[in-house]
Amino acid sequence: MADGNSLFKVSIDFSQSHLFFPNIIHWILLILAVLIALTSGPKLLRQMREKKKDDKQTGAPTDWVRLLGTLVLTIIYFSLMETVGDLFPNTGFGFLFTSIPFMFLLSVLFVHQPGRREFVTITLSSIISPAVAWYVLAQMFNITLP
Amino acid sequence: MEFISYLTPMFFALVGFGVVVGIIFGAIPGMTATMAVAVCLPMTYGLDLTNGLALLLGLYVGGISGGLVPAVLLNIPGTPSSITTTFDGYPMTQKGEGERALKTGITSSLFGGLFSAIVLFFFAPSLADVAIKFSYVEKFLIILFALTVIASLSRNLLLGIFSGVLGVWFSLIGSYDISSGGNGEYRLMTDAMVPYLESGFSLLPVLIGLFGLGTILQEAQKGIKEEVGKGKKLELNGGTSFSLSVFKGQIVNLIRSSGLGTFVGMLPGVGGSAASVLAYTQQKNFSKHPEKLGKGAPEGVIASESSNNGLTGGALIPLLSLGIPGDSTTAVLIGAFTLQGIQLGPLFIGNNLDTWNTMMVALVFANLVMFVVMFFAIRTIVKVITIPKYLLYPGIIMMCVVGAYAINFGIMFDVWTLLFFGLFGFLGQKVGLEVAPFIIGFILGKQAEVYFVKSLESFGTLTIFFTKSPIAMVLWVLILISVVFSIYGMIKQKKNNNNKEA
Amino acid sequence: MKFLKSGLAVAMAAFMGIAASQAVAADAKFADNLRVVIGSKSTGGDTYQNSAIVAQALGEKLGINVKVDAVGSSAAFKALARISNGSTIMIFHDQSYLGYLYGVKGYFDIFDDFIVGPTIAINPGNAYLVPKSSPYKTIEDIIQACAKDTKIRVAIQPGGVSEIGYSALKNAIKLRYPGKEGNLVAVNTGSQSDKNQLLFDGQADLIQGSVQANEQYTQLPAEDQKAMRFVWLTAREETIKQTKPEGMGSTTQAHLLDFVSPKVSVTLDGKQDFTFDKEFFFLYNKKMDPALIEVLDKALGEIYAEGKIQEVQKNSFFIPNFKPSAEASAYLKDKMEKYEGIIKSIH
Repeated sequence: MADGNSLFKVSIDFSQSHLFFPNIIHWILLILAVLIALTSGPKLLRQMREKKKDDKQTGAPTDWVRLLGTLVLTIIYFSLMETVGDLFPNTGFGFLFTSIPFMFLLSVLFVHQPGRREFVTITLSSIISPAVAWYVLAQMFNITLP
Repeated sequence: MEFISYLTPMFFALVGFGVVVGIIFGAIPGMTATMAVAVCLPMTYGLDLTNGLALLLGLYVGGISGGLVPAVLLNIPGTPSSITTTFDGYPMTQKGEGERALKTGITSSLFGGLFSAIVLFFFAPSLADVAIKFSYVEKFLIILFALTVIASLSRNLLLGIFSGVLGVWFSLIGSYDISSGGNGEYRLMTDAMVPYLESGFSLLPVLIGLFGLGTILQEAQKGIKEEVGKGKKLELNGGTSFSLSVFKGQIVNLIRSSGLGTFVGMLPGVGGSAASVLAYTQQKNFSKHPEKLGKGAPEGVIASESSNNGLTGGALIPLLSLGIPGDSTTAVLIGAFTLQGIQLGPLFIGNNLDTWNTMMVALVFANLVMFVVMFFAIRTIVKVITIPKYLLYPGIIMMCVVGAYAINFGIMFDVWTLLFFGLFGFLGQKVGLEVAPFIIGFILGKQAEVYFVKSLESFGTLTIFFTKSPIAMVLWVLILISVVFSIYGMIKQKKNNNNKEA
Repeated sequence: MKFLKSGLAVAMAAFMGIAASQAVAADAKFADNLRVVIGSKSTGGDTYQNSAIVAQALGEKLGINVKVDAVGSSAAFKALARISNGSTIMIFHDQSYLGYLYGVKGYFDIFDDFIVGPTIAINPGNAYLVPKSSPYKTIEDIIQACAKDTKIRVAIQPGGVSEIGYSALKNAIKLRYPGKEGNLVAVNTGSQSDKNQLLFDGQADLIQGSVQANEQYTQLPAEDQKAMRFVWLTAREETIKQTKPEGMGSTTQAHLLDFVSPKVSVTLDGKQDFTFDKEFFFLYNKKMDPALIEVLDKALGEIYAEGKIQEVQKNSFFIPNFKPSAEASAYLKDKMEKYEGIIKSIH
């Protein structure tokens, strides 16, 4: 390392070049993580504790039913979509047939004062929106849907 | 003036139709201008070149502009290039200034679009010669320059930068893409993940996952309360209403942002999202009230929207004067030319003056149509936020699914990406990760890698980044200024806060 | 679980009043919607264009809706491997086996994993270019330079169609001047614009390009930094002879012929010249009904017999090249073995 320039010399082996940049990123992430832990670690911990208290005080508890319900419905929706779609290859029916019940159930899960009127709008919206999306995109624009 | 004979009513009708369809595509979260152009490409088979281009340019302008609607109203960027529009557009909506934000946005879009069209018309060939002065080294520095926005966007500097670098990390997952010169080897994943993650996570599903699904999960956790937003949100024009005075003192901003958009657009490969990110950073650096940006300042919307429409003309520069697309949408346009047997390259403009002139007319007309259509449609569009959440959110998820599935022409994994990043955004924010820096890191990460590694492969020394060319040195100066400004801004903000507390 | 899933799906379909039988192809007939996935992610590229031309003709011939989806090679292979009922087929080109020969991740032996279907067209444009101001006027100059230990840097996209000409050149140098092939070095890069850029920057002496994308650059005056010169087209002579007489841009067919074998010689084995035509062909799922393959062969045969599609293809600088499945498969297998030899010899 006598020559100052050689300090900056880098040679990259093409067959290993896919790891070069990720390694740099790993080091940066590590250094940042250490810095964060050192500088704001204690403060963050305090904040988090306060936040917990805040949550209790302001009385905004997690709505587990809606949160988990959303997740479960979404997962079912995604996993059924392609399976149903395979029954009707390249028609987009998989999307159409799963979106209608999904939207309906999710709306029912979200709505707060379910009444007759809400029920009608939910039903209409969950049939019309996917149908319009399907018709315009899959039929008119020939976009591939599940 | 022979080209005037090409300007039939049909020509203008096609531009108008293209703009309207483009706006709709742009306005749907997850549908992009690129997709609009791609799906309408087959429609041009039956048209001649002039009319085909009229349609496609209309779609391009409409698609880029439409992205601001969900960005402003729902905090979901309709296209990657409208990401910075959400930073100030959505806070404006929350203040009840949705209509004002939209009108500011489209006026800026119009300015940016026309600005870039003029630049394109008068300077295309000479600017193309400037563009080829940017090799891997300079492009890396441009990306680095754009990445400096992370510092100024962060609420907590260290956490923000960490989020940004984490975004870069996520963008690298998958194979080191052969089509950008990599060796195609996999990294950052286990063998079991290979079948899904071979080509990594796609930008669009990540984007709408974080912003769309992520937000809905947060709301779900809070129990989807209508009344929270109702009082405020039903008031569509609660705050200041739109008037041209919003642009007072913003002329420099408009010109700088449009110019940056045009400039970034003309660099092949650097891509559209970098344009608005750069413009936004610079506005934040030069603003008289940098502390207001990110909290609903119209100047943020102006910077973002004028630059992403400035992109349109910019991206056409290398396409028409080098035969090389400036962004992903213009890459699709190439198909329209070759299909008609028209060759693109450095001689295109000279050989096809009529086509060139009609394209310019189409571009200018498309921007005007975009403005008129949007301006009058806004009153209706803005009502979207009055739809009850229990109807709106399921609809948003459904449209996000369509967008994610269709962005790569039918890949189910992209839909799962949506869910993964929805959850990631939801949980990440709980531990202090910041979404905006993360997504900017994700958008720019891959390019940063390729440009950085390829520069070193060619030159073998880190000093090249400083000594390659005068352009590189100028870029370093800009990067330094940007970093200094954002640190200065942060210190000033801290002082202000302290003063207030005291 | 799977049973439950499909049970639910069927119930739903019945509820919607749509007969599920629609999807069953009982008598070797394609369903109403045929999806063609392609190995490229670009809707502006040659694979998409070629596929779109053929898909349109097929759709009209079979009276069905044929849709081309630019999903990219790995997703296309995956979709094709998953769906065996003939509702998804694939169109790709020589990259599909070259990627495998070069050992690129995500590629495998298409002859083992899929059925190779009919060929439909050639893109004759694969070209190598130097700057107009370059001291090397011909490919022979470059070979001689390497023989005299001058390093020649070639900008290519690694792992496939873009690399094969480079490999062949290296092989030719090895055959004629053993031990000197190391003087030809690859600069691995990506898109056409990246390759051009390396040439403009003086970071490459030779680039892989195409007649379509680079022809106008060859027409620029020599003092322009962007000016280039063709030194080699890898296409066969008979392929170029099928282009329109006016060729591409200002370069006529006669002029294009100056850059192909035999006028430009890159030897394959000391006896014959290396040539490479980028050919587009169909790929099918291994379990696809042979009767459906028959239907497609027949339909394509009729389309090409009518002679209209050839005009469309030639207008976009493609050379029509229809070979029915069996013939195409044997032909491509031969082709692959030929290139396998080259790649093995230089590695």
